[in-house]
Amino acid sequence: MSTQDKVKINKLPTGIPGLDEIVGGGLPEFSFNIIAGAPGSGKTTMAHQFVFANATPERPALYFTVLGESAIKMLRYQQQYTFFDPVKLPGSIRFINLSQVVLEKDLGAVLEEITKEVEKSNPAVVVVDSFRTMVRKPQSDMDLQSFIQRLALFLASWQATTFLIGEYAEDELRDNPIFTVADGLFWLRQAAERNSIVRKLQIIKLRGQDSVPGLHTFRITDAGVQAFSRTFGLTGHIKNPPSQRRISFGIAELDNMLGGGVREGDSVLVAGSSGTGKSVLATEFIAEGIREGEPGIVAVFEERPQAYAERAASLGMDLVTPQKDGKLTILYLRPLDLSVDETMHSILDAVQKIGAKRLVIDSLAGFEMALSPGFRADFRESLYRMIFALTGMGVTILSTVEVDESFTEFPFSTYSISFLCDDIIRLRYVSIDGQLRKIMVVIKMRGGNHAKDIREYEITSKGVVILGKRLTNYQGLISGIPTHLDRPEAAEESAREVKIEPGA
Amino acid sequence: MTATPGMRDLVHRLLTYEAGAGKTSEPMESPALYVYEKLRQSLGESVGVAGFKSLATRALTLARQDLPCLSTARIAEDGSLQGLSEIETQIDVDKNQTGEGEIILIARLLGLLRTFLGEALTLSLLRNAWPDEAFDDRYSTDGRKA
Repeated sequence: MSTQDKVKINKLPTGIPGLDEIVGGGLPEFSFNIIAGAPGSGKTTMAHQFVFANATPERPALYFTVLGESAIKMLRYQQQYTFFDPVKLPGSIRFINLSQVVLEKDLGAVLEEITKEVEKSNPAVVVVDSFRTMVRKPQSDMDLQSFIQRLALFLASWQATTFLIGEYAEDELRDNPIFTVADGLFWLRQAAERNSIVRKLQIIKLRGQDSVPGLHTFRITDAGVQAFSRTFGLTGHIKNPPSQRRISFGIAELDNMLGGGVREGDSVLVAGSSGTGKSVLATEFIAEGIREGEPGIVAVFEERPQAYAERAASLGMDLVTPQKDGKLTILYLRPLDLSVDETMHSILDAVQKIGAKRLVIDSLAGFEMALSPGFRADFRESLYRMIFALTGMGVTILSTVEVDESFTEFPFSTYSISFLCDDIIRLRYVSIDGQLRKIMVVIKMRGGNHAKDIREYEITSKGVVILGKRLTNYQGLISGIPTHLDRPEAAEESAREVKIEPGA
Repeated sequence: MTATPGMRDLVHRLLTYEAGAGKTSEPMESPALYVYEKLRQSLGESVGVAGFKSLATRALTLARQDLPCLSTARIAEDGSLQGLSEIETQIDVDKNQTGEGEIILIARLLGLLRTFLGEALTLSLLRNAWPDEAFDDRYSTDGRKA
């Protein structure tokens, strides 16, 4: 069958930020859906968001309440959410209580009552909350199956998109006929991870269109449910071909070391121990971008935006004006208990909002610490997805990472995330002539040649200043305890100095 | 706390509306009872019979604080108001007080709705029962002109 012969299934907005992307563009019109999950998992709120997004006076929504939460309480609490528009009640959204029928009569009478109301109102949306309580009486399987079949058939025939809400356990998935009949099955979970609550959403099935598989984080705020797609809403984006353009750090010597600058769309890792100037380098990278007309985002986790801007000012970089001009956003993402996906969504939103071309994540260690413990296991995977998505859009990412300084090893990163990076710049301390000095080396550049030089640098009031030429008179610089080729005995002295440092 | 003046004004307005509607149809025994019944039908649909009965019973308890002789009135299982006619005979010595018991009860009922649902939603629900009335452009439930 050709594409033009196929029936086009309209997609309705879910009214839940992030969920349209997850369900493949919107909820299929006239579908018969189940929202399942434990008490407090957000089922009713989710249904309300869908109802408020789709109900109109011409095609209203019917919200059938059964023995669960009373309508008065439901309305009392739900109106606290920002999506709740009281003007829509009762013209566009009608609440109908079926408790009496359910308590006093059988499923046939319930179906009859629903049928009567649907035929009277011609609704676009029907919700039954909670469906579980409606079928709580002992029924034979056939009764229940027949009821569900007839209900689904009737509501689809009346062109209603339906949500049945129920408190189901996952082990009921196999045997309950309702899950067979349903076109869409939304499962909400919440689990305690140490001291945090982690909420996840899964589309177990959705007939007629591709949904994003897997577990998606969601949060309930005063705006209702917000879902965070594992693909960050970038499913439809076409990956840009790798750019050959080189972009500058604003430090001529470093650009030379990088073979003319960082390749646009690369992911750059700046690794070094505390105080080596990772953040300074990152700030210079972002400031140079702004000078070149490339908007930037700085995601900070270890200091507040104001402090970050003040520190930049002390190095001669103005980060205040570009923030006012909409060329720079400094995101402070310190609040604990964030999920990795929602943190990354915050970054992505900021990137898309100002059309950022450069992004600094300062630092990956701070980023990981800001996450709820339960989400830290997903950190590397999610970071990989975000970096892949953003660099595909042509955004150049610079991440800083703190590494334990060792005078016997030269690790690139304690997070084993080097594979996420196209380019790695390593900063480290080195003991030379009785001083703790700093050296810089470009370890890797995926996109081309780079200098192999080990260069000494200082952090001055003008930022990172690379000194002189490469250090040629020393051996073992990357060990941190080099030997001066003309004065080999100096190495032993340095080693003694370094050994006493940890206990000092 | 007594039924607020705003709520009483609102109830009077509903009574006036129903009394006006009554002129063109059959004579109405009690506009207040008619307003109560309309609320029962309208709210009963969304909150259920049991839900409406609970609200009405609470409203009656509160109304008794304003008018102790309401003690013999009661809310039936289906939420309807019973036993009021005898009380009205007792308190309606002055004809201006006709339906005072129902007025206080309805004012208390609307007050409860406002407490639970807020002003906007309460007015929305009233608009459903009296679609021809534009409550929010002339009155708010606390008695202030909007």
